[in-house]
Parts: sequence; structure tokens; C-alpha cells
Amino acid sequence: MLQLDAKNLLVEDAFLEAFDTDYVPATLDRIITDFDFTTYHISTPESKEKLLFSINIKCWNDLVKYGVFQILKDKYDELIILTEPEAGWNFSLYVDLTQFKLANNENKKELASRLSLLKSHCFSAPFYKAFNRHDILAAEGPVDPNNIYGEDISTVTEEVFVLNYRDSEVIYIKPSNDRVTVIFSTVFRDETDKVFSKVFLQEFSDARKRSIQTAPQVINSHREPPLEIRNLTSNPFNETTGEEKTYITFVLFPRHFSSVDVRWNTIQHIQLFRSYFHYHIKIVKCFLHQRMRYRVSEFMKVLNRARQDSIDEEKERKTVSGRRFELRS
Amino acid sequence: MSSINTPAIVMDNGTGLTKLGFAGNDLPSWVFPTAIATRAENSNSKYNKSTSSRGGQTSGGNLSIKRGMEDLDFYIGEEALEAAKGPSYSLNYPIRHGQVENWDHMERFWENSIFKYLKCEPEDHYFLLTEPPLNPPENRENTAEIMFESFNCAGLYIAVQAVLALAASWTSSKVQDRSLTGTVIDSGDGVTHVIPVAEGYVIGSAIKNIPLAGRDITIFIQTLLRDRGEPDTSLRTAEQIKQQFCYTSSDIVKEFNRFDSNPEKFAQYMVETVNKSRTLTVDVGYERFLAPEIFFNPEIASSDFLTPLPTIVDQVIQASPIDVRKNLYKNIVLSGGSTMFKDFGRRLQRDLKQIVNERVASSERTSGAKSSGVEVQVISHKRQKNAVWFGGSLLAQTSEFKSYCHTKQDYDEYGPNIVRNFSLFSVP
Repeated sequence: MLQLDAKNLLVEDAFLEAFDTDYVPATLDRIITDFDFTTYHISTPESKEKLLFSINIKCWNDLVKYGVFQILKDKYDELIILTEPEAGWNFSLYVDLTQFKLANNENKKELASRLSLLKSHCFSAPFYKAFNRHDILAAEGPVDPNNIYGEDISTVTEEVFVLNYRDSEVIYIKPSNDRVTVIFSTVFRDETDKVFSKVFLQEFSDARKRSIQTAPQVINSHREPPLEIRNLTSNPFNETTGEEKTYITFVLFPRHFSSVDVRWNTIQHIQLFRSYFHYHIKIVKCFLHQRMRYRVSEFMKVLNRARQDSIDEEKERKTVSGRRFELRS
Repeated sequence: MSSINTPAIVMDNGTGLTKLGFAGNDLPSWVFPTAIATRAENSNSKYNKSTSSRGGQTSGGNLSIKRGMEDLDFYIGEEALEAAKGPSYSLNYPIRHGQVENWDHMERFWENSIFKYLKCEPEDHYFLLTEPPLNPPENRENTAEIMFESFNCAGLYIAVQAVLALAASWTSSKVQDRSLTGTVIDSGDGVTHVIPVAEGYVIGSAIKNIPLAGRDITIFIQTLLRDRGEPDTSLRTAEQIKQQFCYTSSDIVKEFNRFDSNPEKFAQYMVETVNKSRTLTVDVGYERFLAPEIFFNPEIASSDFLTPLPTIVDQVIQASPIDVRKNLYKNIVLSGGSTMFKDFGRRLQRDLKQIVNERVASSERTSGAKSSGVEVQVISHKRQKNAVWFGGSLLAQTSEFKSYCHTKQDYDEYGPNIVRNFSLFSVP
């Protein structure tokens, strides 16, 4: 239904087309965007058979801190990663088409879809790091069985991973020995959006209570930063803008990152959270508008019905020449 | 704001096809049918109402009962065509004759095209939308309402398609001065428009429509194939033949003779049968040059419309104000897929020149004065197929573009009627 896919359809299409056996190499220079100020650039600067694929992410510097290079190297090891990315872009890799002429269809599809997930892979760096840190912490200090209320006992000194992924909107990730806490801070510029967001977030927090027990716990707080990141309020983002912020906290428990597949799944979903959230707020507005239009047209019908028809009966009917119609019966 | 650096989004929603993409690219990223598949109403027959009801009301009666998740269940573009093959979806085309008819569907269509296909947050991007000539200002306001209130898009510019087509012609080497004055011949699938534009403004009173366009050519080819009894006469085959083999001739009689004396002019088109077991061979004959000829001699295909295209163009320019006529003759721009035939521009230029020269000669005779002559030039260029979109992309990538847009702040301040006026692009 209203699913957002983590992959970028355009990137996937572009590469699938290029990997096709009857592809005629052509000069390419294409810009493609993704959520959160991410831009891709596909071009053929050297020869028509060598595609240069570059990405630009707003929070690239943060990602570098959390080891994005290592992850991308693992993911795209068969491709040529440029040590010096294209000017104006953060990360570039070469896809040499001559190299893939022999690969079968499955491989082509797999590679295209892997390339289309470049942004997700980039954003996964801090999450992986947090999960790994959790493993270390869990090994060091096992979960205290007496801690029945599940309080977070991790020290304040534990590093919080910060990702300034949009203007004045930040993702905080904090690992601990029994959980990983992900906190989104968002700002709504539009008044209507604010109202909708409150309803939505309330629903998020309530959903877990009702039915979906395995979902991560969601806590939201308005304007007040959660305890985990309170010591970070010296962060310039929180004070200078002075905008009303909403904090959404996801508490991921070990079952959400038990295996490699589950981890990847969790990361993909949590990354898309903000876009997804906005997407839904917007579509809700669409449906409200739809209802409003419907109501207006209904009211118009009522009003039109109330309008008096011109009084035909009393009016004399004449022909152009002035003769009168006489009803003969 | 950071939205300054993100590429602007160019959306050209046509009657048949929607072109979506980012400013600066030379091709639209997505081209798909402007279609939306919504949950069919008969799945809930209790509140069934006629499908054609305006405003896309999915139910007639009790709204609060009926409305549930099915509102969220829809597909657009190719997926819509696919979904509509099943029993549970019905297909809708929200745009008719270039104008948005069903705003409910259009709103959802945009929603999905922005988030799903272009993958962008509308708050971060500027948008360039297109509108047909003679679009009522109310439609513009509706568009702005949706773009700003539903999507909170950062900025919006609504451009007239014909003006963008003129801008696209700047890529041609024949264009020396980048002016926004000229005659646009826009021939798509359904209808052909001849639109005079003077300094960026459409001269509405002089616009003419021709009820002959791409689809008519395809049908004409199909009848020719049927008459000859070819093994495959599907519409698809006819369309392929149109795209691959057709060209405009300079003289039909000579061309007939050339075909008869020179049999290698006849071509053959291979059709693969559904199960790919064997291929059918379709001969392609006179339709190679006869099909595009219906623009110049409409009587060979249609019985009710008989005015040739060059005459229409001449009439349009003659109906325009006298001080722009010379420039309109000098800059005739082609746009749309049905103008892609080889030598189409040259033929049009020759025929039009003939008409103009005759008129000049007769006026010289009657007045006795010597005329300075009228230059007639038809410009064809490589981007004709998606000329409107390409023109939009060209204009939206300029650094000034964002200053011409109305922003969300402007909208909040003044309300939807600000979009009634857009400042024109000053020509660089």
C-alpha cells in the first residue's frame, strides 16, 4: 500500500538498463535524489562503458566518523572505489560494464539492487557501530536480572552517536548493555503538520500496548529532550534555533538485532522512519482535502436545490414574430 | 534554507503521459501514463454510485462508515495499468484535454509520484509544474493549494507548456537569439495545437487545434495494412512502423514513382508472435510517406477535417497582432512525438513559405510597393519528443529560477491567488 522502499528505484532502473545484454553504451549525466538531502550522480566521464556513480550526503562527515568506508568497502568490494571521490561528491565508485558482460541475470539484478541501496548502506554505519558496541557492553556487564523495571543502567559517559542528517534534525543512537536507544529529533514548520504529528506519535506509542508486542518501544516527548541525550543539550542545534522540537525514542532490544538479517531489516526501517512519517502526514492531508471537497460539492447541491427556478408557468410564451402560443385541447 | 542546493523537480503532467525528473538532466527520469488505479467501488456494492461521479467520491452515501483503508490503496503509472487488469481496481485518468479534472485523484497521483518515484521530500525541493494554454486561473490556484498545503513544497513555478517548448528550441543551432516569441506546434497523441507566443505570453485568441495527431496516424497505417491483408495488423505493429519507417516526402507523386521504380524502398517489419515460436513479416510500403502526409493533405485520412497544417499555421499567425507576426513566422518550433518524422520541419517550412510568398506577391501587385519579404523558419531539434519537459529542466536549472518561484512563505502570507501571476524568465 503506502510502502516506501529503501531502494532508489531510479538508480536500480539505470543500472539494470546498463547491465542489460543489448544495452547500447551512451553518454550519461544524470542526477537523482533521495530523502534527507542525498543526491546521486551517474555519469560516464571516461568512456561510455565505465559508469561513475557518486553520492552526496549532507551528514557525510558524521558518517565517516562511524566507519562508513569500511562498510561500503565490504559491500561493494568487487567495484572500483575511488580513493579521491569526484569533485563535489562524497563517495564515488566505478562500475565497469565490460566486467559484467558475463555475469548471469541473477547477479545483475543483485548488483543493481545493491547499488540502489547505497544510501541505506551509508546510513547503516552508526547503527552497526552501536550494535557492536552493545555486544561488547553486554559481554562486559550482563543484564542484571534484578533490574525488573528495565531501567537503563548505562553510564552517562557512554558515547552517543550523533547524526546531523538534516538541518536542525538529528538522530542520536545510544548503545547500552541491554538495548540500543535511537532518538529522532524533528521539527515541524507547518502548524497543521504539528497537530497531525502529535496524533500519529500518540498512536505509535499506543500501538505496542495494544497488539504488536514485538515492536520496539516508542516514546515521544515534546520539547523536552529525553534523559539519554539531556547531557548533549549543549549541542548548538538545540539552543540556537529555539524551534519546538519533538523527540521520538525507539528502544531496540536485543531481539531486534539478533542476527545479521534482522539487523539489516531494523536499520532499513528505522532510517526511513522520518520520511515515512512525513509521507503519512501528507497523505492524511490529502484525504482530509478529499473529504472537504466532497462536503463542499454536497453543500453546493443543497444550495442549488434551494434556488428558485425561474417562474415559467406565468410567463407568456411568444414566438419571435410576437405571436402567442395558444394551447388547444 | 538548504533547499537552495537541492535540484528542482520538473513535473509535466500531460493528458496521456506524465514526465517527471530533476532539473539539469537531459531526459525525464520517469515517463509513465497519467493514470491512477483506485479500489473499485463495486467491491462495496452497498454504497455503489456511478464511477464517473465528479470529485472522485468513492462513496455516495455515508462517508464516515465507508472510508477506511481503501483510500490508501491505489497505484499510479505503469503499476496502475497492471493493477487495473485485475477485478478489484478501476482505472482513472485525472487529466482530460490537458486540464486536471479530478483533483482528488491528481493529489494522490502527485503524492505517490513525489515520494515513491522521485524519492524526495517536497519540503526540500522547488517544483516546476506545467499547464496547458488557456488553463483557467482557478486551476492554478487549486494546484498551488495542493502543492503548498498538502505537500509544503519549498517553492512553486507553474509554466505554460508552449513557453517551455520554445525554451527547449534554444538548443538548436538555428536559434540565434534566445527569445520567447514564436509559434509552437505541439502534436502529441490526442490533438495538435498551434500556439502563438509573444514575449512569453500566449496569444490565447489565436490558438487553433487540429483534431489530427499521433493516434490518427497510427490508425491510418493500420487501415492501410488491413486493406493490403498483412499477416499482423495490430495497433502496436502500426505504431512500431510509424516510429521506425515513416518520413515526410516532398512530393507524393514523385515519391510514388520512386517507390515503383526502386523496389528496395519497400521495407519489411518483423513481428514476434506471442509465444515467440515464429516471426511474422509485415511489408511496409507507401505508408512510409503517406502516414505523415495526413498533416499536409488531411483528406486522405479524415473526411471532416480538411485544412492542411501549413494553412492552419498561417491562419494562426495572421490572427495574431500585426507587430509580432514577422517574429512568429521566423520562429516556428516543433514539439511532441508526432513531429518527429524526418524532414517534417523542412516540408512545413516549404509549404508555409509558398503560402506567405503568394500573399506577399499579391499585396505587392495591388499596392505597387516593394515588400521587404517575410522570413519563414521552422526549427526542429533533437529534444522534440520531450520538449516541454526539457525546456522546464533547462529553465529550472538556472540560478535565477528559485527567485522566480513563489515560496511557501509567500503562499502563507498572501494566499492561493499569488499563483495567478508568475514573473517571466528574463532571457539570459
